[in-house]
Amino acid sequence: MSQHSLVELAQSRVAVHAEAAVEAADGRLGYLRREGLREFVRMGIPTTRHEEWKYTNVFPFIGQDFTYRPTHWGSVSAQNTMPASAKEIASALGQHVSVRIVDGCVIVDDSTLPSGVEIIELTPELVENDAAIAGALGSGAPMNTHPFVALNTALLESGVVLRIGKDVRVEPPIHVSIETSDSTSPTLITPRLLVIAEQGAEVDIVQSHHVFGEATVLDATVVEFVVSAMAHIRYFKIADDADAARSISSVSADVHRDATFTSHALSIGGRFVRNDLALRLCEPSSQGFLFGVSLLADHEYTDNHTVVDHMVPHCHSEELYKGIYDGSSTGVFNGKIYVRPQAQKTTAYQSNHTLLLSSKAQVQAKPQLEIWADDVKCSHGATMGQVDEEAIFYFRSRGIDKDTAKALLTYAFITEVVEKISLDGLRELLTRRIARKLSTDTLLS
Amino acid sequence: MTPLLQISNLHASIDDREILKGINLTVNAGEIHAIMGPNGSGKSTLASVLAGREDYTVTAGSVVFQGKELLDLVPEERSREGLFLAFQYPVEIPGVSTANFVKTAVNEVRKHRGQEPLDPAAFLALMRERMALVEMDPSFLQRSLNEGFSGGEKKRNEVFQMAMLDPVLSVLDETDSGLDIDALRIVASGVNALRRSDNATIVITHYQRLLDHIVPDFVHVLWNGRIVKSGDKSLALELEQRGYDWLKQEAAVEA
Ligand SMILES: Nc1ncnc2c1ncn2[C@@H]1O[C@H](COP(=O)(O)OP(=O)(O)OP(=O)(O)O)[C@@H](O)[C@H]1O
Ligand SMILES: [Mg+2]
Repeated sequence: MSQHSLVELAQSRVAVHAEAAVEAADGRLGYLRREGLREFVRMGIPTTRHEEWKYTNVFPFIGQDFTYRPTHWGSVSAQNTMPASAKEIASALGQHVSVRIVDGCVIVDDSTLPSGVEIIELTPELVENDAAIAGALGSGAPMNTHPFVALNTALLESGVVLRIGKDVRVEPPIHVSIETSDSTSPTLITPRLLVIAEQGAEVDIVQSHHVFGEATVLDATVVEFVVSAMAHIRYFKIADDADAARSISSVSADVHRDATFTSHALSIGGRFVRNDLALRLCEPSSQGFLFGVSLLADHEYTDNHTVVDHMVPHCHSEELYKGIYDGSSTGVFNGKIYVRPQAQKTTAYQSNHTLLLSSKAQVQAKPQLEIWADDVKCSHGATMGQVDEEAIFYFRSRGIDKDTAKALLTYAFITEVVEKISLDGLRELLTRRIARKLSTDTLLS
Repeated sequence: MTPLLQISNLHASIDDREILKGINLTVNAGEIHAIMGPNGSGKSTLASVLAGREDYTVTAGSVVFQGKELLDLVPEERSREGLFLAFQYPVEIPGVSTANFVKTAVNEVRKHRGQEPLDPAAFLALMRERMALVEMDPSFLQRSLNEGFSGGEKKRNEVFQMAMLDPVLSVLDETDSGLDIDALRIVASGVNALRRSDNATIVITHYQRLLDHIVPDFVHVLWNGRIVKSGDKSLALELEQRGYDWLKQEAAVEA
């Protein structure tokens, strides 16, 4: 699918809806779709000349003839079996709430839905009748700067709204499993999630992506979070490690007074993973914690683009990304921090550390700090290195062979970030996956 | 009796600079040897070459350890065969707990000896027992290996690892440096407790005070890549009195 055909696809879907409703009356959703289309046409598919897409080249796969699987709601009976990789996560989470999006079809198992949690279909009616949802939808996602967010928005017909009621602390994590099962033809999916944590709410959300089969899947998922005052959201995004997956995911979060948003971008593989994360600390005393682990080999690719916007005084952000690159893999980290003129007493820390295991592996790291306030504490640090030969010798001198020594030291490099994962089952699963990837079982004892 | 370790005419260099210039040394089971000598004379280099550090090139000589040519083995094999080096400067390893490291090492050695891995409870009990030997607090087990350990704590940790691995030949490279007076006594008594008729120890040190606790059978002086003098424990006392200059002159005359 060329840009032209992606535009055509978006145009035709927007037109269908415009016909169905009188233009003026198709409301906020219709407006967003038209805006999305306009922006997508304006920006086009980003080339590597685009500063933000310098290393993320979509052209090798974008030209395929994608079958579009629009998001729609199905019933539990339509449930087909979960892929093993998704099951592994589901079972690691123990008791949890399951939201699956299978080839665009949303399947919610609400049998385990705790009270105070709503998982609802995003419809034009909902958007018209619920001011909170209307206000939140499309307000955080960077539709004007991110071409695939614009595409997702142009195709926004349905989606998932997750709302956690005031002061509700959700015990079981919510697992959003985005799956694609067609193994014959290239597939395009554009899942859309809106998560609203009302005042004082608390929830863990685990989002994972799974692709069956050989045919390319272009997954342009957009997730928007509203973290109301005193609410706490912990969000875990696990990249697919299937070869056919092309995942371009954009996450935005608006964090309000005394609230926190914690994100973990976990890429234990993946042929093509692009994560955009935009955090807005929009009321005083809000906090953001951004963690990332990338463990790549062969020709795998992960690009993390983060933006933390300190809009008001007294906010705190902390960012720690670590990447290990073997084979001919490539890692990109681009971390922006804006501290606006009025955002005094900001504390913002960013660090990005890289371990290169192969001379063919590459890393591109770019911290960008724009600080317009003067009474702030901001820092960034980046390191790049190889496994310490002195340390390897120390291990060997104690009877531990070279490969095991390397694996242990490699794991040691990221353990600091893995330990930040507060869900025990998920942390243990990650450790197992990392051990598998480093082909050692010594980590597990 | 075949010696435990027989070093013959060992030459080693780094970046084409010869540092060991023909070392000869025989160590029998049950013996303690002290190696002394001025800074830069090659003591740590000898320890590193024995342990198998790859930065050094052995240009001549042989090292026979329990009947095997040590120089043919990679470092991990040397360790599994029973050689232990307590480092002068132990490396800090963030992210690997002391317990996990020691467990991995011990199980590698057990595997080599055809033994089953120890079960976790037995292992923990053994670790606690051996830590007590050097009066190390068990809380160190959960800490990252050597990270943020004080100089003295690092040295105790080396002797703790030695106690866990139960080596045949231990080489202690300045294990006494950085230790306070009490710690020196504790570490020395740990080393003595591990002493048996079927193992041996080489202690590299600058100071007699260690040798008051770990009493050597032989004392050797290494200077400029060679052992220029050997004697019994009284040699160390003499060095304490006279320094090295007289030996350097003797060696220069002989050369
Ligand atoms: N990696 C290296 N590169 C270059 N020179 C080295 C290296 N290692 C050792 N040397 C040199 O070899 C010589 C012997 O060093 P070594 O560390 O063995 O001395 P030492 O007897 O242990 O001294 P000290 O008592 O100070 O510990 C020194 O001149 C040192 O600078
Ligand atoms: Mg030395």
